Amino acid sequence: MATNQIDPTKWVDKYSDYLFNYTIVRVNDRDLANDIISETFLAGLKSMKNFKGEATERTWLISILKRKIIDYYRRINSNKGKAEVRINYSDEENDGDWLEEQAPDRFELNAENQMENEELGLAILECMEKLPEKQAKIFKMKTIEGIDTETICNEFNITPSNLWVIIHRARVTLAECLEKNWF
Amino acid sequence: MDCSNTAQCCDKAQYDEASLFEKVQIHIHLLFCKPCKKYTDNNNKLTELVRKANLKSCSEAEKKAWKEEITKENLHTPGHSKK
Repeated sequence: MATNQIDPTKWVDKYSDYLFNYTIVRVNDRDLANDIISETFLAGLKSMKNFKGEATERTWLISILKRKIIDYYRRINSNKGKAEVRINYSDEENDGDWLEEQAPDRFELNAENQMENEELGLAILECMEKLPEKQAKIFKMKTIEGIDTETICNEFNITPSNLWVIIHRARVTLAECLEKNWF
Repeated sequence: MDCSNTAQCCDKAQYDEASLFEKVQIHIHLLFCKPCKKYTDNNNKLTELVRKANLKSCSEAEKKAWKEEITKENLHTPGHSKK
């Protein structure tokens, strides 16, 4: 049943943090992640007519983002083949082997933890989408960005008491949302 | 200290903004109040999960640039207005 609506004017506010966290762990470069997200938004705009409303907007954008990340790795892999690098080994037995064979494996012992942490991060962001906009913004500034109470109060023109009430409500909602799978 | 104050102090403590006096009061209250003990445990767990997730946040400048790109593309591509 097609029930989900699409509204590109809200994509950045609603999904940019989610898309960014999804991308940064896969490309590990902030500028590159920004470029890929930018391409994702533009590709989304161009294919808006294909949005059937069966998936959520975020799921649909993530499917585009995944393809953009794959495209990026295909591009750099095809460039790699053009510049072959060999090294001189000291012993004859290994002579002619590729340098890459001796590169350390980036998927170290804690790869599983990294994947779990990424999944956890996305779960937190999904739960944050359930918060009212102002509550989510204030929680994010205070908890993720570590901005001090006074600065946030000035920006939103609220008292510290108001801020703590907002933070409390946000934390209760988030704890309830995460409790089933993560507590 | 009542439950409402305890919850607020517990929230403040998650950000290292509770005073020593408030922390002592929380501990005394928690000795006798199970619901607040549960709230505090969950609150501590939430803080731990957020720390573990190491979430990154996009800057306002980055968001502004994306918004401008979307607006520009939306204006220049016929038939791509809001559904």
